Amino acid sequence: MRPAFSKWLPGARWAVIVIPFAWLLLFFAIPFAITLKISFASAAIAMPPYTDLLSWDGDKLSVHLNIGNYLFLLRDSLYVNAYLSSLKIALVSTLICLVIGYPMAYAISRMEPATRNIALMLVVLPSWTSFLIRIYAWIGILKGNGLVNNFLQWLGLIDQPLEMLHTPFAVYIGIVYAYLPFMILPLYSNMVKLDRRLEEAAYDLGAKPWRVFVSITLPLTKAGIIAGSMLVLIPVVGEFVIPELLGGPSTLMIGKVLWDEFFNNRDWPVAAAVSTVMLLLLVVPITLFHHFQAKELERQLS
Amino acid sequence: MVEVNEQALTAAGPVAGSTANRNERLGEEHYLRIDSVRKEFDGFVAVDNVSLSIRRGEIFALLGASGCGKSTLLRMLAGFEQASAGTVELDGVVLNGVPPYQRPVNMMFQSYALFPHMTVEQNVAFGLKQDGLPKDAIRDKVARMLSLVHMESMARRKPHQLSGGQQQRVALARSLAKSPKLLLLDEPMGALDKKLRGEMQLEVVNIIERLGVTCVMVTHDQEEAMTMAHRIAIMDAGRIRQVGTPDEIYEQPANRFTAEFIGSVNLVEGKIDEDQKDYITIRAPILAHAIYVGHGVTGYEGQDVVLALRPEKLVVSKEEPAQPYNKTRGVIEDIAYFGSHSVYHVRLPGGERLMANSANAQRWAADRFTWEDSIWLSWDDQAGVVLTS
Repeated sequence: MRPAFSKWLPGARWAVIVIPFAWLLLFFAIPFAITLKISFASAAIAMPPYTDLLSWDGDKLSVHLNIGNYLFLLRDSLYVNAYLSSLKIALVSTLICLVIGYPMAYAISRMEPATRNIALMLVVLPSWTSFLIRIYAWIGILKGNGLVNNFLQWLGLIDQPLEMLHTPFAVYIGIVYAYLPFMILPLYSNMVKLDRRLEEAAYDLGAKPWRVFVSITLPLTKAGIIAGSMLVLIPVVGEFVIPELLGGPSTLMIGKVLWDEFFNNRDWPVAAAVSTVMLLLLVVPITLFHHFQAKELERQLS
Repeated sequence: MVEVNEQALTAAGPVAGSTANRNERLGEEHYLRIDSVRKEFDGFVAVDNVSLSIRRGEIFALLGASGCGKSTLLRMLAGFEQASAGTVELDGVVLNGVPPYQRPVNMMFQSYALFPHMTVEQNVAFGLKQDGLPKDAIRDKVARMLSLVHMESMARRKPHQLSGGQQQRVALARSLAKSPKLLLLDEPMGALDKKLRGEMQLEVVNIIERLGVTCVMVTHDQEEAMTMAHRIAIMDAGRIRQVGTPDEIYEQPANRFTAEFIGSVNLVEGKIDEDQKDYITIRAPILAHAIYVGHGVTGYEGQDVVLALRPEKLVVSKEEPAQPYNKTRGVIEDIAYFGSHSVYHVRLPGGERLMANSANAQRWAADRFTWEDSIWLSWDDQAGVVLTS
């Protein structure tokens, strides 16, 4: 039995590795290569609307790499501002998600198993509705004669409706609302493994509640904080729907710039360059994240 | 204590003999006073009206099966649970309502609860830092604690780089670093393998005694309690069933529960036949001969009693003993061989069974008993304990 099984094993192992790699190659590496290729082309009124990188002229093969698209991104302050503003919005909303999500995740992880499952369900439940519909719902809540303004006017707290929709405030609300579960879930799965006796031991040794939090709970949930922050930060940088629906002309985000470049200007090479740079910007935090995770894993195993 | 049972021999032996002179060194009564303490969880009574008083420098064990309330009692001493009723007083100060971080009480947790992100040194220093001691003082104290538990060379290691025994040493050093008035041990040896357990039990006791710390420990392991503690409280269903030194608990059980809980025992039910000042006789339906107990018992003629007989107090012989009482005929049904001794399961003529231990003092003894041998069991008039509850 055993020899036959182990002969079969290398094939199985190979297949297990190849399937995800093939997936990544097909749906990530190849599309990225195409985007990269387009980012080095020039715009053209043609179908597709960009020039070829390679041209065959008699017996001469020439490669045309147009780095003008990238220089354009640097030259026009719109793009730099959009990148910076996206990063700022992403960082601030990640921080807000962390501040709201951390105590929530902690409270859930300390509940009785039965209540805990209900609480987790409530965190996940909104995602069962379409993302788009939920963001549209916020328009109804935030607009001039929406729920919030009507309520505040009914209370007599304000005379004129507050302008909330199409402001950065609305964008933050939308982002924090939509991405909070992505912060809570990794934090929760980290905290639920936290041995409660460690906190008790710290109390026992004379640490007051705040000291216990700072010197025991916080360091031991660092992995969850980093995982949750990355899961919020990375997609929010490229977020398009929320600033488009809830944001105004003043909210500049790179996802919106990309959309305009692609669909309004029909400048595919510049759009490709914009998304390539965005990816490179995100590679830095992703790499740091992986580096940290690998170190953490190593520490646990050694 | 002439003959010694398996537990007493392997575990209580080195300590039980010295119990008397150790107790002389202990301080005044009532250093830790637990008075009518009760704890309820949603209508379930975990600790039911427990009163104990523990002396300064004493090592006191709460022994019981899981769920008997011993851990809840320990957690109330640490301050993690609040008593529903009753008071806990340590060195004249009532501890009720004092949060764990303000009690002069430290605990060595089950499986230690060492902080995984801190080094050995930082773990031991943690409690001292909370007191705001100067850096030099902390460093000196940590070094002293680590040398006390022989862990100086491991100061820079993280807990996961240590073996189970080393982790326990660090945990002990951490819980002793603040010189607590009361040390709590929660299943101190639970995470160690059997061989290491025996060594660590004596070492931990030596360290605690050298520092003179008062200590309450919780365990479900009777060997551990008997080896380490000066006194033991047997707990069952939230109540204390008996408090006493290890040899008192073993040789003088106060009730049927304790007798059955500690070690193995033969329980023979009967009625008091003759109640005299310096002896009684008991008539037991399963025995053809009378039981003679060579001391007076508070009871009355005709009272239902149980005689608790430890297996090692029974003597197995081929010939009928000369004494007219305390003997029975039987057939060896089963033999459990433990190396140092064998346990014979003897079937009485009526079908009931008694256990008798016999020390294997000789290698390959020729006259050893075997299965289906017809034998006599006998015991002397001080061997049994008469239980009325």
